Amino acid sequence: MSQPTVSIKTYTFTWLALLGLTLLTSLIGLIDLGVFNLVAAVLIAAVKASLIATFFMHAFYEAKLVRVVLAGGIIWFLILISLTLGDYLTRGLLPFPGK
Amino acid sequence: MADPLELAVREQFNNPVQQRETSMVGMWVFLITEIMLFGGLFTGFAVYRLAHPIAFDQGSAQMDFRLGAINTAVLICSSFAMALAVNSAERGRKLRLAGFLVLTIVLGLLFLGIKFDEYYLHYLDHKAPGISFYQWGPEAPYIEMFYVFYYLMTGLHAIHMIVGIGLLSVLVLRTGLGSFSKDYHTPIEITGLYWHFVDTVWVFLFAIFYIPGAHMR
Repeated sequence: MSQPTVSIKTYTFTWLALLGLTLLTSLIGLIDLGVFNLVAAVLIAAVKASLIATFFMHAFYEAKLVRVVLAGGIIWFLILISLTLGDYLTRGLLPFPGK
Repeated sequence: MADPLELAVREQFNNPVQQRETSMVGMWVFLITEIMLFGGLFTGFAVYRLAHPIAFDQGSAQMDFRLGAINTAVLICSSFAMALAVNSAERGRKLRLAGFLVLTIVLGLLFLGIKFDEYYLHYLDHKAPGISFYQWGPEAPYIEMFYVFYYLMTGLHAIHMIVGIGLLSVLVLRTGLGSFSKDYHTPIEITGLYWHFVDTVWVFLFAIFYIPGAHMR
């Protein structure tokens, strides 16, 4: 631990990138893209989240166990959302009442 | 006098490195439970958004996305200050550490100030479900539902911010008392993880509540 994990230079670039992406999100929000306004906003948010996790939270500088824990959490969340939406998005696709 | 580094190691650990790693993994496990807590709310939001897309876009159009964007920038700056605080701790610069911790707190308070101001403006506008909510039209009940999600999710986030500011204040106090050094600053790193996580949650809240209706304003 004699050297800082991440240099100030890297932190500064991360910070500027996050501010730039926030501006980009707002500008895209001003154009009417239909449902893709929400999709684009969430995708950019995911990019911002990975920047924060990688550089601010040192996720990839820590012990491997940290990465396993993080991956486990994200996978469980994806199971939660994909099974739930898999139900709601596919309702009414089959020509049977109530299906 | 005993080596201060030896004193900092609890008896169940072999060495400071193992002790630190245990704390870090423990904090990450806690953050995963937080992902599941907020994840349930995000999933609920997604289900209602799919069922009532027009109402949820109209609700989003009633938000001031400029305030949301400013608050996102404020929170990103506070995360940057927190990252620099961790960097100062790693270098053993105590004065800088205390300074960046205070800056993180100030930016956190600024965020909460803007957020509560927004809540008050919504209240004056009769957009507070259960207290005073007046909107008419076929979509009105679902716009109300949008606001229920909005208050619940941003409110839970604000509670996390208040807890984080409390934790940071304790860290400022402990820095002043000389509890941290180049070799021992795990509490700073752990609180930093929490602060960055809360920041990440807001990034997604900004994306789902403020952006979808921004072009309809």
